[in-house]
Amino acid sequence: MLDLLPHIINGLTLGLLFALIALGFTLIVGVMEVINLAHGSLFALGAYLALSTIGADWFADTGFGTWWLGLSLEIRYALALVAGPILAGLAGMALEVCLRPTYGKAPLYGLLLTFGAALVIEELIRLGWGTGEQSMPVPQMINGAFWMAGLIFSKYKVFAAGFAILVILAIWLFLEKTPYGAIIKAGSHDSEMIRALGHDLGRLRLLVFGLGAAMAGLAGVIMAPIWGLRPHVGIDVVIPAFLIIVVGGVGSFWGAVIAALLVGLSVGISGAYAPAWSMMSMYLLLIAVVGFRARGLLGRKTALEA
Amino acid sequence: MSKANITRRRLLATATGTAAMTGGLVTWSGPWKHNRVWAADRPIKIGITSDASGQYANSGASDRRGMMMAIAEANARGGVLGRRIETVHIDTETTPATGSRVAERMISREECGFLVGAVSSGVANAISQVAQKYGVIYLNTNSSSPTESGENCHRVKFVWDGNGANFAQAAIKNAVESIGGRFMLLTNDYVWGHDTARATRGLLDTYGGEVLDEILVPQGTRDFSAALIKIQQAGPDVVAAAVGGDDQKALRQQVAQLGLGAKPAWINNQQDWPDIYGLPIDNLFGVFGTTWYYKLDLPGVADFVQRYQAMYPDTRMRVPGNVFYNGYMATSTLLDAIERAGTTNNIAVIRALEGHVMPAAQRMQHHDAVIDPDTHQVQQTVYLATANQAPSEEDDVFKILAQSAPEDVRDQNASKGCKLESYEDTPTFDA
Repeated sequence: MLDLLPHIINGLTLGLLFALIALGFTLIVGVMEVINLAHGSLFALGAYLALSTIGADWFADTGFGTWWLGLSLEIRYALALVAGPILAGLAGMALEVCLRPTYGKAPLYGLLLTFGAALVIEELIRLGWGTGEQSMPVPQMINGAFWMAGLIFSKYKVFAAGFAILVILAIWLFLEKTPYGAIIKAGSHDSEMIRALGHDLGRLRLLVFGLGAAMAGLAGVIMAPIWGLRPHVGIDVVIPAFLIIVVGGVGSFWGAVIAALLVGLSVGISGAYAPAWSMMSMYLLLIAVVGFRARGLLGRKTALEA
Repeated sequence: MSKANITRRRLLATATGTAAMTGGLVTWSGPWKHNRVWAADRPIKIGITSDASGQYANSGASDRRGMMMAIAEANARGGVLGRRIETVHIDTETTPATGSRVAERMISREECGFLVGAVSSGVANAISQVAQKYGVIYLNTNSSSPTESGENCHRVKFVWDGNGANFAQAAIKNAVESIGGRFMLLTNDYVWGHDTARATRGLLDTYGGEVLDEILVPQGTRDFSAALIKIQQAGPDVVAAAVGGDDQKALRQQVAQLGLGAKPAWINNQQDWPDIYGLPIDNLFGVFGTTWYYKLDLPGVADFVQRYQAMYPDTRMRVPGNVFYNGYMATSTLLDAIERAGTTNNIAVIRALEGHVMPAAQRMQHHDAVIDPDTHQVQQTVYLATANQAPSEEDDVFKILAQSAPEDVRDQNASKGCKLESYEDTPTFDA
């Protein structure tokens, strides 16, 4: 059991990171019924924008750039953690505007458009940042390792998991305790009724897509120091995100969180005892859950009504 | 009996159609057609089968740049046998099935007389099966599975990179003697990883080491925490890793974050330059193998680097690495072999390549290299390197620790497993 414990902790940590990746995806699917295949590219875009924010890539030669680079890495990293998601969110909003002609048409149109957007964003990343591997620096206080029960753990991973918990709670509070959250939840039930009640449905969709994209970007910034950074890093995101919302129940906030934790546990534990099956384990979990409950774990409750 | 009247107009139309179809078939016939001869002024067409997407996209781009520089230089000299070299590139997507499709299309539709390029051994194997069917010479530039010149060898295929067994030979004995014999294997779960791990096990048996455990890592793994915890729990002296491409990049980040790069000792079978370029020095831990480094103190190296920089001034990778080097060397040696053969006949070119000795000065390595006539693998110098803690410039991140002569790192099992097809069983054609 003592041998197993680190793997359970590791699995839960991984699960929290998966939840961070999947929440933006489930938000957009739940409210807009759009499967955003550009989620992974927005994930990568957020990470690259944060990288450039830290390194002052585009303004290093200016006086402002000199001042900026004089700031400590802690401050620049914290600001990048804000700037990356905001810029990714703006890109998401632009994508939502492009998506508007597809509303009310067959879902395939939205699917194709977001797929095309994913390719465009990935190519823009190649043009802007090059094709090679890049590394995101992290502040010393969250870098390195610490010892616990005779084993080394990564400080950054613990930070990332703690940060994921805070973000999950913040999103939940936003959806549960604010009028905007109430409108978003209502929109996931019946968007036409929202319009009938006098709310601007277009603005709601813009907000939700922007929020979902910003969350993808935020996940990108957090995951970059763990996964590394390359233009196609977003490919690694879409499949787990999609799988998590199906296991959790499409549109269910807590369903996605629980599913992410289960996926993390299955990958973490199988990674220790049957590593060749670690990737496959998440698909086996999907088969097991959907085989018994086609709507997923919390699929009865539609989007975000927990 | 048909009662239709055959008019002069219909007869002419039928005859014209038949002639056009026959002509089309003759023109379309691929290089498998025996003894077809192309016009001397027709370009020599080379199919570039490198990955532009998937796990080895970045290395594929570097590989391709190497080939293109060799071809550009040959064309600048007036071509080969007076014929210009042309290329066609199709993305092989780091996927064996795509590799087969691409090879089939390049040969049968694009009429490529030669195929060059690979990073993934699975893709290289798939391409070579198609190439052998048509007799088209195929250069596996950068894939490193021992089976490529062992059980999956072919008469038309030539393997340019050092393989997992070569690199293991260079590293394992030294590690057992100087660090300890308790090994853990961290292995990518596909053909290159398996073959490399098998070679490592064999060498450990020979030199008195033992394998505590082997952790198989599926391709596409991004989180190595479980494996790293298991390694800590087992406490081996050495971890021999055969993890490549994007998986390796993620592994490096995570090992560096944990500060596990120094203890246990790591042997990374081979370190491809594109996989490490631009990363912080602490990501480059352990000892690893390579076939070439841009700071080797040998004649020609500096000039080679300058030519690279002149041809690719905007490339983020400012200096060439081993993948580029292999792509360049393979292609230029092929073109040289065509010139020496005096013909583009595939069998003649194969014979010109088999057993061909490449002087160390030409290879920019410490020892002469030779194309093994029995396995078609280039037997060459293998270098062991580690991170350079005192770099002379930003890109100087390798510190070469040792170099081994080809005969000292020869993959002894390759010739046992390799059964080349006979010349008679290989279709012949002039490209």
